[in-house]
Amino acid sequence: MKKLVKLEINGENFDVAITPTAYLIDVIRETVGLCGTKKGCGIGDCGACTVLIDGKPTLSCITLAVACTGKAITTIEGLSKGTELHPVQRAFIDKGAVQCGFCTPGMVLSSKALLDENPHPTQDEIKSALAGNLCRCTGYAKIIEAVEYAGQLLSGEVVHEQA
Amino acid sequence: MHCEPFEYEKPVSLREFESLYAARADDARILAGGTDLMVLIKEKLLAPRLLIDISDLHELRGISWDPRQGLTIMAGTKIAEIERSTLVKEHAPALAYAAANLGSNQVRWMATMAGNICHASPAAETPPVLLAHDCELIIGRQGGERTLPISRFFLSYRKTALESGEYVKAFRLPPLPARAAVAYRFKGLRRAMEIDMLNIGAYLELCEDGQTVSDVRLAMGSVGPTTYRAAVTEKKLKGMPIGEDFFAAACGGVVQEATPIDDVRASAEYRNRVIGVLTRRALEECLEIIGARRSAA
Repeated sequence: MKKLVKLEINGENFDVAITPTAYLIDVIRETVGLCGTKKGCGIGDCGACTVLIDGKPTLSCITLAVACTGKAITTIEGLSKGTELHPVQRAFIDKGAVQCGFCTPGMVLSSKALLDENPHPTQDEIKSALAGNLCRCTGYAKIIEAVEYAGQLLSGEVVHEQA
Repeated sequence: MHCEPFEYEKPVSLREFESLYAARADDARILAGGTDLMVLIKEKLLAPRLLIDISDLHELRGISWDPRQGLTIMAGTKIAEIERSTLVKEHAPALAYAAANLGSNQVRWMATMAGNICHASPAAETPPVLLAHDCELIIGRQGGERTLPISRFFLSYRKTALESGEYVKAFRLPPLPARAAVAYRFKGLRRAMEIDMLNIGAYLELCEDGQTVSDVRLAMGSVGPTTYRAAVTEKKLKGMPIGEDFFAAACGGVVQEATPIDDVRASAEYRNRVIGVLTRRALEECLEIIGARRSAA
Protein backbone atom coordinates (compact mmCIF):
# COMPACT_ATOMS: atom_id res chain seq x y z
CA MET A 1 0.00 0.00 0.00
CA LYS A 2 1.24 3.47 -0.83
CA LYS A 3 2.05 5.90 1.92
CA LEU A 4 2.69 9.61 1.76
CA VAL A 5 6.34 10.23 2.57
CA LYS A 6 8.20 13.53 2.94
CA LEU A 7 11.62 13.67 1.33
CA GLU A 8 14.05 16.57 1.38
CA ILE A 9 16.07 16.53 -1.81
CA ASN A 10 18.57 19.30 -2.54
CA GLY A 11 16.93 21.49 0.08
CA GLU A 12 13.48 21.15 -1.45
CA ASN A 13 10.60 19.23 0.15
CA PHE A 14 8.75 16.60 -1.84
CA ASP A 15 5.65 14.71 -0.75
CA VAL A 16 5.70 11.41 -2.57
CA ALA A 17 3.21 8.56 -2.49
CA ILE A 18 5.26 5.37 -2.41
CA THR A 19 5.16 1.75 -1.23
CA PRO A 20 7.63 0.57 1.44
CA THR A 21 9.46 -1.43 -1.23
CA ALA A 22 10.36 1.64 -3.32
CA TYR A 23 14.08 2.21 -3.57
CA LEU A 24 15.44 5.71 -3.26
CA ILE A 25 17.03 5.64 -6.72
CA ASP A 26 13.67 4.91 -8.39
CA VAL A 27 11.84 7.56 -6.39
CA ILE A 28 14.51 10.17 -7.22
CA ARG A 29 14.46 9.31 -10.91
CA GLU A 30 10.89 8.28 -11.63
CA THR A 31 8.73 10.01 -9.03
CA VAL A 32 10.66 13.22 -8.41
CA GLY A 33 12.07 13.28 -11.93
CA LEU A 34 15.72 14.04 -11.18
CA CYS A 35 17.54 11.82 -13.66
CA GLY A 36 21.12 12.84 -12.84
CA THR A 37 21.46 9.94 -10.43
CA LYS A 38 22.32 6.83 -12.44
CA LYS A 39 21.30 3.24 -11.90
CA GLY A 40 24.07 0.81 -12.74
CA CYS A 41 24.20 -2.61 -11.11
CA GLY A 42 21.20 -2.16 -8.81
CA ILE A 43 22.83 -4.20 -6.02
CA GLY A 44 25.23 -1.74 -4.44
CA ASP A 45 28.44 -2.71 -6.20
CA CYS A 46 29.10 -0.02 -8.82
CA GLY A 47 28.44 3.27 -7.03
CA ALA A 48 26.70 4.96 -9.99
CA CYS A 49 23.65 5.58 -7.80
CA THR A 50 25.62 7.34 -5.04
CA VAL A 51 23.81 10.25 -3.38
CA LEU A 52 24.68 12.07 -0.17
CA ILE A 53 22.42 11.47 2.81
CA ASP A 54 23.19 13.91 5.62
CA GLY A 55 26.49 14.45 3.81
CA LYS A 56 27.50 10.78 3.72
CA PRO A 57 27.89 8.87 0.44
CA THR A 58 25.05 6.36 0.21
CA LEU A 59 24.00 3.78 -2.37
CA SER A 60 20.48 4.81 -3.36
CA CYS A 61 19.78 1.53 -5.18
CA ILE A 62 19.79 -0.46 -1.93
CA THR A 63 18.29 2.27 0.25
CA LEU A 64 14.56 2.35 0.90
CA ALA A 65 13.06 5.75 0.15
CA VAL A 66 10.71 5.46 3.10
CA ALA A 67 13.76 5.25 5.38
CA CYS A 68 14.97 8.69 4.26
CA THR A 69 12.30 10.82 5.90
CA GLY A 70 13.85 13.58 7.95
CA LYS A 71 17.21 13.31 6.22
CA ALA A 72 18.88 15.73 3.81
CA ILE A 73 19.39 14.05 0.44
CA THR A 74 21.80 15.63 -2.04
CA THR A 75 21.85 14.51 -5.66
CA ILE A 76 24.12 15.76 -8.44
CA GLU A 77 21.47 18.36 -9.34
CA GLY A 78 21.95 19.90 -5.90
CA LEU A 79 25.61 20.81 -6.29
CA SER A 80 25.61 23.70 -8.74
CA LYS A 81 24.19 27.10 -7.90
CA GLY A 82 22.14 27.91 -10.99
CA THR A 83 24.62 27.83 -13.84
CA GLU A 84 27.62 28.12 -11.53
CA LEU A 85 29.19 24.71 -11.19
CA HIS A 86 30.48 23.32 -7.92
CA PRO A 87 34.32 23.27 -7.84
CA VAL A 88 34.31 19.45 -8.01
CA GLN A 89 32.20 19.58 -11.18
CA ARG A 90 34.44 22.33 -12.57
CA ALA A 91 37.53 20.23 -11.85
CA PHE A 92 36.09 17.13 -13.57
CA ILE A 93 35.51 19.19 -16.73
CA ASP A 94 38.84 21.04 -16.63
CA LYS A 95 40.82 17.81 -16.12
CA GLY A 96 38.92 15.79 -18.73
CA ALA A 97 37.67 13.37 -16.09
CA VAL A 98 34.38 12.71 -17.90
CA GLN A 99 34.20 10.14 -20.68
CA CYS A 100 30.81 8.47 -21.20
CA GLY A 101 29.62 10.25 -18.07
CA PHE A 102 27.58 7.45 -16.52
CA CYS A 103 29.74 7.13 -13.39
CA THR A 104 30.31 10.90 -13.12
CA PRO A 105 27.43 11.91 -10.82
CA GLY A 106 28.42 9.22 -8.31
CA MET A 107 32.12 10.04 -8.68
CA VAL A 108 31.48 13.75 -8.11
CA LEU A 109 29.35 13.13 -5.00
CA SER A 110 31.85 10.65 -3.51
CA SER A 111 34.59 13.20 -4.19
CA LYS A 112 32.61 15.99 -2.56
CA ALA A 113 32.05 13.85 0.55
CA LEU A 114 35.78 13.12 0.69
CA LEU A 115 36.82 16.76 0.28
CA ASP A 116 34.29 17.91 2.88
CA GLU A 117 35.98 15.58 5.38
CA ASN A 118 39.55 15.86 4.14
CA PRO A 119 40.29 18.97 2.04
CA HIS A 120 43.78 17.80 1.01
CA PRO A 121 43.62 14.05 0.40
CA THR A 122 46.61 12.07 -0.82
CA GLN A 123 46.27 10.02 -4.01
CA ASP A 124 45.82 6.89 -1.89
CA GLU A 125 43.08 8.54 0.13
CA ILE A 126 41.32 9.55 -3.09
CA LYS A 127 41.59 6.01 -4.44
CA SER A 128 40.19 4.62 -1.22
CA ALA A 129 37.29 7.10 -1.14
CA LEU A 130 36.41 6.34 -4.77
CA ALA A 131 36.96 2.58 -4.59
CA GLY A 132 33.21 2.03 -4.59
CA ASN A 133 32.66 4.02 -7.79
CA LEU A 134 33.42 2.05 -10.93
CA CYS A 135 34.33 3.77 -14.20
CA ARG A 136 34.05 1.25 -17.02
CA CYS A 137 35.69 3.73 -19.42
CA THR A 138 38.59 3.26 -16.93
CA GLY A 139 39.33 6.98 -16.77
CA TYR A 140 40.61 6.76 -13.22
CA ALA A 141 43.88 8.67 -13.70
CA LYS A 142 42.04 11.81 -14.84
CA ILE A 143 39.42 11.41 -12.13
CA ILE A 144 42.05 11.26 -9.39
CA GLU A 145 43.78 14.29 -10.91
CA ALA A 146 40.44 16.12 -10.94
CA VAL A 147 39.80 15.41 -7.26
CA GLU A 148 43.25 16.75 -6.32
CA TYR A 149 42.56 19.84 -8.43
CA ALA A 150 39.09 20.23 -6.87
CA GLY A 151 40.74 20.29 -3.46
CA GLN A 152 42.98 23.13 -4.64
CA LEU A 153 40.01 25.01 -6.13
CA LEU A 154 38.01 24.62 -2.91
CA SER A 155 40.86 25.85 -0.71
CA GLY A 156 41.53 28.77 -3.04
CA GLU A 157 45.10 27.62 -3.79
CA VAL A 158 44.29 27.84 -7.47
CA VAL A 159 41.61 29.85 -9.22
CA HIS A 160 39.66 28.55 -12.18
CA GLU A 161 40.19 30.74 -15.20
CA GLN A 162 37.23 31.33 -17.46
CA ALA A 163 37.93 30.15 -20.99
CA MET B 1 12.71 -4.59 -10.24
CA HIS B 2 9.88 -6.51 -8.66
CA CYS B 3 10.25 -7.64 -5.11
CA GLU B 4 7.90 -9.35 -2.74
CA PRO B 5 5.94 -6.75 -0.79
CA PHE B 6 7.00 -6.10 2.76
CA GLU B 7 5.89 -3.74 5.47
CA TYR B 8 8.24 -1.20 6.97
CA GLU B 9 8.36 0.03 10.55
CA LYS B 10 10.74 2.48 12.13
CA PRO B 11 10.47 2.32 15.91
CA VAL B 12 11.53 5.49 17.71
CA SER B 13 12.80 3.84 20.89
CA LEU B 14 14.60 0.67 21.86
CA ARG B 15 11.62 -0.40 23.95
CA GLU B 16 9.27 -0.03 20.99
CA PHE B 17 11.70 -1.93 18.77
CA GLU B 18 12.04 -4.81 21.24
CA SER B 19 8.29 -5.30 21.63
CA LEU B 20 7.72 -5.11 17.88
CA TYR B 21 10.51 -7.59 17.20
CA ALA B 22 9.29 -9.93 19.94
CA ALA B 23 5.87 -10.01 18.31
CA ARG B 24 7.07 -10.41 14.73
CA ALA B 25 10.50 -12.08 14.98
CA ASP B 26 9.52 -14.99 12.76
CA ASP B 27 8.64 -12.99 9.67
CA ALA B 28 10.56 -9.78 10.33
CA ARG B 29 14.12 -8.78 9.59
CA ILE B 30 16.09 -6.04 11.27
CA LEU B 31 17.21 -3.36 8.82
CA ALA B 32 20.37 -1.62 10.02
CA GLY B 33 22.48 -0.63 7.03
CA GLY B 34 20.86 -2.85 4.43
CA THR B 35 24.03 -3.44 2.42
CA ASP B 36 23.59 -7.20 2.76
CA LEU B 37 19.88 -7.44 3.57
CA MET B 38 18.55 -5.31 0.70
CA VAL B 39 20.76 -7.14 -1.80
CA LEU B 40 19.45 -10.51 -0.56
CA ILE B 41 15.88 -9.23 -0.89
CA LYS B 42 16.54 -7.87 -4.37
CA GLU B 43 18.09 -11.15 -5.42
CA LYS B 44 15.05 -12.95 -3.97
CA LEU B 45 17.09 -14.98 -1.52
CA LEU B 46 15.05 -13.56 1.33
CA ALA B 47 11.43 -12.46 1.49
CA PRO B 48 10.69 -11.02 4.92
CA ARG B 49 7.17 -9.70 5.56
CA LEU B 50 8.36 -6.85 7.74
CA LEU B 51 11.51 -4.75 7.90
CA ILE B 52 12.20 -3.06 11.22
CA ASP B 53 14.48 -0.10 10.65
CA ILE B 54 16.78 0.49 13.64
CA SER B 55 19.18 2.81 11.85
CA ASP B 56 18.13 5.92 13.78
CA LEU B 57 17.85 4.36 17.26
CA HIS B 58 20.34 6.48 19.17
CA GLU B 59 20.37 3.97 22.05
CA LEU B 60 22.15 1.58 19.69
CA ARG B 61 24.85 4.01 18.57
CA GLY B 62 28.19 4.98 19.99
CA ILE B 63 31.61 3.81 21.12
CA SER B 64 32.88 4.09 24.69
CA TRP B 65 35.88 3.00 26.75
CA ASP B 66 36.08 1.91 30.34
CA PRO B 67 39.47 0.80 31.76
CA ARG B 68 37.89 -2.24 33.47
CA GLN B 69 35.21 -3.24 30.97
CA GLY B 70 37.11 -2.32 27.85
CA LEU B 71 35.77 -1.02 24.58
CA THR B 72 32.01 -1.03 24.04
CA ILE B 73 30.67 -0.59 20.53
CA MET B 74 26.92 -0.35 20.22
CA ALA B 75 25.44 -2.54 17.51
CA GLY B 76 24.07 0.23 15.30
CA THR B 77 27.40 2.04 15.00
CA LYS B 78 28.41 2.46 11.38
CA ILE B 79 31.53 0.71 10.08
CA ALA B 80 32.82 4.14 8.96
CA GLU B 81 32.52 5.40 12.54
CA ILE B 82 34.49 2.39 13.82
CA GLU B 83 37.12 3.01 11.13
CA ARG B 84 37.54 6.64 12.24
CA SER B 85 37.10 6.29 16.00
CA THR B 86 40.13 7.37 18.03
CA LEU B 87 39.04 4.99 20.82
CA VAL B 88 39.00 2.03 18.41
CA LYS B 89 42.33 3.08 16.88
CA GLU B 90 43.86 3.22 20.34
CA HIS B 91 42.40 0.09 21.93
CA ALA B 92 41.64 -2.16 18.95
CA PRO B 93 43.68 -0.91 15.97
CA ALA B 94 43.23 -4.20 14.09
CA LEU B 95 39.48 -3.67 14.21
CA ALA B 96 39.83 -0.14 12.79
CA TYR B 97 42.00 -1.63 10.04
CA ALA B 98 39.52 -4.40 9.23
CA ALA B 99 36.69 -1.85 9.20
CA ALA B 100 38.63 0.39 6.80
CA ASN B 101 39.01 -2.55 4.42
CA LEU B 102 35.35 -3.56 4.37
CA GLY B 103 33.43 -2.93 1.15
CA SER B 104 33.55 0.62 -0.18
CA ASN B 105 33.26 4.01 1.47
CA GLN B 106 29.53 4.04 0.69
CA VAL B 107 29.07 0.57 2.18
CA ARG B 108 31.02 1.59 5.28
CA TRP B 109 28.79 4.62 5.86
CA MET B 110 25.70 2.43 5.58
CA ALA B 111 26.70 -0.89 7.16
CA THR B 112 27.03 -1.84 10.82
CA MET B 113 29.27 -4.38 12.56
CA ALA B 114 26.21 -6.18 13.95
CA GLY B 115 25.01 -6.64 10.38
CA ASN B 116 28.44 -7.92 9.39
CA ILE B 117 28.36 -10.66 12.06
CA CYS B 118 24.63 -11.50 11.86
CA HIS B 119 24.94 -12.11 8.13
CA ALA B 120 27.40 -14.81 9.30
CA SER B 121 29.38 -15.04 6.11
CA PRO B 122 32.61 -17.00 6.56
CA ALA B 123 34.39 -14.31 4.51
CA ALA B 124 33.30 -11.33 6.62
CA GLU B 125 35.98 -8.88 7.72
CA THR B 126 35.20 -8.14 11.34
CA PRO B 127 34.60 -11.64 12.84
CA PRO B 128 38.28 -12.73 12.82
CA VAL B 129 39.29 -9.59 14.72
CA LEU B 130 36.39 -9.89 17.16
CA LEU B 131 37.27 -13.56 17.78
CA ALA B 132 40.93 -12.63 18.28
CA HIS B 133 39.84 -10.07 20.88
CA ASP B 134 37.59 -12.71 22.50
CA CYS B 135 34.83 -10.15 22.24
CA GLU B 136 31.72 -10.51 24.33
CA LEU B 137 28.38 -9.94 22.66
CA ILE B 138 25.51 -8.36 24.48
CA ILE B 139 22.37 -9.96 23.11
CA GLY B 140 19.13 -8.09 23.68
CA ARG B 141 15.50 -9.18 23.66
CA GLN B 142 12.27 -7.83 25.04
CA GLY B 143 12.62 -7.56 28.80
CA GLY B 144 16.21 -8.69 29.12
CA GLU B 145 19.65 -9.36 27.77
CA ARG B 146 22.39 -11.97 27.99
CA THR B 147 26.06 -12.04 27.17
CA LEU B 148 27.67 -14.54 24.84
CA PRO B 149 31.33 -14.94 23.90
CA ILE B 150 31.64 -14.44 20.17
CA SER B 151 33.39 -17.83 19.96
CA ARG B 152 29.92 -19.34 20.50
CA PHE B 153 28.03 -17.07 18.10
CA PHE B 154 28.69 -18.60 14.67
CA LEU B 155 27.01 -22.01 14.46
CA SER B 156 27.37 -22.83 10.76
CA TYR B 157 27.15 -21.19 7.35
CA ARG B 158 24.90 -18.13 7.82
CA LYS B 159 23.59 -19.52 11.11
CA THR B 160 24.08 -17.73 14.41
CA ALA B 161 23.26 -18.49 18.03
CA LEU B 162 20.57 -15.77 18.10
CA GLU B 163 17.23 -17.13 19.18
CA SER B 164 13.86 -15.90 17.99
CA GLY B 165 13.32 -12.32 19.16
CA GLU B 166 16.97 -11.78 20.05
CA TYR B 167 19.27 -9.22 18.49
CA VAL B 168 22.87 -8.12 18.86
CA LYS B 169 22.88 -5.05 21.07
CA ALA B 170 26.56 -4.32 21.69
CA PHE B 171 30.12 -5.59 21.38
CA ARG B 172 32.46 -5.54 24.35
CA LEU B 173 36.18 -5.95 23.74
CA PRO B 174 38.02 -6.56 27.04
CA PRO B 175 41.11 -4.41 27.66
CA LEU B 176 44.28 -5.98 26.26
CA PRO B 177 46.93 -7.05 28.81
CA ALA B 178 50.21 -5.13 28.69
CA ARG B 179 52.14 -7.71 26.66
CA ALA B 180 49.38 -8.58 24.20
CA ALA B 181 48.31 -7.46 20.74
CA VAL B 182 45.85 -8.30 17.97
CA ALA B 183 46.56 -8.18 14.24
CA TYR B 184 44.45 -8.77 11.13
CA ARG B 185 45.61 -9.98 7.74
CA PHE B 186 43.51 -10.67 4.64
CA LYS B 187 43.89 -11.63 1.03
CA GLY B 188 41.52 -10.57 -1.72
CA LEU B 189 41.57 -10.46 -5.49
CA ARG B 190 41.38 -6.67 -5.71
CA ARG B 191 42.19 -3.80 -3.43
CA ALA B 192 38.60 -2.76 -2.80
CA MET B 193 35.02 -4.00 -3.02
CA GLU B 194 36.20 -7.57 -2.89
CA ILE B 195 35.17 -10.48 -0.73
CA ASP B 196 38.14 -11.89 1.14
CA MET B 197 39.42 -15.22 -0.14
CA LEU B 198 41.13 -15.58 3.22
CA ASN B 199 41.45 -13.62 6.40
CA ILE B 200 42.84 -14.13 9.87
CA GLY B 201 42.75 -12.43 13.23
CA ALA B 202 45.57 -13.24 15.62
CA TYR B 203 45.95 -12.54 19.33
CA LEU B 204 49.31 -13.00 20.99
CA GLU B 205 50.09 -12.57 24.66
CA LEU B 206 53.57 -13.02 26.10
CA CYS B 207 54.66 -13.95 29.61
CA GLU B 208 56.52 -11.47 31.78
CA ASP B 209 59.86 -12.63 30.35
CA GLY B 210 58.74 -11.27 26.97
CA GLN B 211 59.91 -14.52 25.35
CA THR B 212 57.31 -17.16 26.17
CA VAL B 213 53.80 -17.37 24.71
CA SER B 214 51.26 -17.15 27.48
CA ASP B 215 48.16 -17.13 25.27
CA VAL B 216 47.31 -17.11 21.60
CA ARG B 217 44.11 -17.02 19.53
CA LEU B 218 43.96 -17.62 15.79
CA ALA B 219 40.63 -16.93 14.06
CA MET B 220 40.43 -17.93 10.42
CA GLY B 221 37.93 -16.76 7.81
CA SER B 222 37.02 -18.25 4.43
CA VAL B 223 38.47 -21.65 5.24
CA GLY B 224 35.26 -23.24 6.50
CA PRO B 225 31.51 -22.70 6.85
CA THR B 226 32.05 -20.01 9.49
CA THR B 227 34.92 -17.98 10.85
CA TYR B 228 36.42 -20.16 13.58
CA ARG B 229 39.41 -20.51 15.86
CA ALA B 230 42.21 -23.00 15.35
CA ALA B 231 41.67 -24.33 18.87
CA VAL B 232 44.05 -27.32 18.74
CA THR B 233 46.89 -25.17 17.42
CA GLU B 234 46.22 -22.46 20.00
CA LYS B 235 46.64 -25.02 22.79
CA LYS B 236 49.88 -26.38 21.32
CA LEU B 237 51.39 -22.91 21.03
CA LYS B 238 50.86 -21.94 24.66
CA GLY B 239 54.10 -22.03 26.61
CA MET B 240 56.33 -22.13 23.53
CA PRO B 241 59.25 -19.70 23.32
CA ILE B 242 59.02 -17.18 20.50
CA GLY B 243 61.18 -18.39 17.63
CA GLU B 244 61.18 -20.31 14.39
CA ASP B 245 59.67 -23.42 16.02
CA PHE B 246 56.75 -21.35 17.25
CA PHE B 247 56.02 -19.84 13.83
CA ALA B 248 56.38 -23.22 12.14
CA ALA B 249 53.99 -24.81 14.62
CA ALA B 250 51.47 -21.98 14.16
CA CYS B 251 51.55 -22.10 10.35
CA GLY B 252 51.52 -25.89 10.21
CA GLY B 253 48.72 -26.01 12.76
CA VAL B 254 46.33 -23.64 11.00
CA VAL B 255 46.82 -25.50 7.72
CA GLN B 256 45.85 -28.71 9.57
CA GLU B 257 42.75 -27.11 11.03
CA ALA B 258 41.64 -25.17 7.94
CA THR B 259 38.97 -26.87 5.84
CA PRO B 260 38.81 -24.68 2.74
CA ILE B 261 36.86 -25.44 -0.42
CA ASP B 262 37.44 -24.53 -4.07
CA ASP B 263 35.23 -21.64 -5.10
CA VAL B 264 35.15 -18.63 -7.41
CA ARG B 265 37.60 -16.69 -5.28
CA ALA B 266 40.37 -19.26 -4.76
CA SER B 267 41.19 -22.94 -4.79
CA ALA B 268 41.40 -24.96 -1.60
CA GLU B 269 45.04 -25.71 -2.38
CA TYR B 270 45.89 -22.02 -2.65
CA ARG B 271 44.01 -21.23 0.54
CA ASN B 272 45.86 -23.98 2.40
CA ARG B 273 49.17 -22.50 1.34
CA VAL B 274 48.36 -18.88 2.04
CA ILE B 275 46.56 -19.25 5.38
CA GLY B 276 49.88 -20.26 6.93
CA VAL B 277 51.62 -17.25 5.43
CA LEU B 278 48.94 -14.87 6.70
CA THR B 279 49.13 -16.46 10.14
CA ARG B 280 52.87 -15.87 10.31
CA ARG B 281 52.50 -12.26 9.18
CA ALA B 282 49.73 -11.59 11.68
CA LEU B 283 51.73 -13.09 14.55
CA GLU B 284 54.84 -11.16 13.50
CA GLU B 285 52.79 -7.98 13.54
CA CYS B 286 51.53 -8.81 17.05
CA LEU B 287 55.15 -9.22 18.17
CA GLU B 288 56.12 -5.93 16.58
CA ILE B 289 53.28 -4.09 18.31
CA ILE B 290 54.17 -5.62 21.69
CA GLY B 291 57.86 -4.79 21.13
CA ALA B 292 57.13 -1.22 20.12
CA ARG B 293 54.94 -0.72 23.16
CA ARG B 294 57.67 -2.07 25.45
CA SER B 295 60.35 0.17 24.03
CA ALA B 296 58.01 3.15 24.30
CA ALA B 297 57.28 2.37 27.96
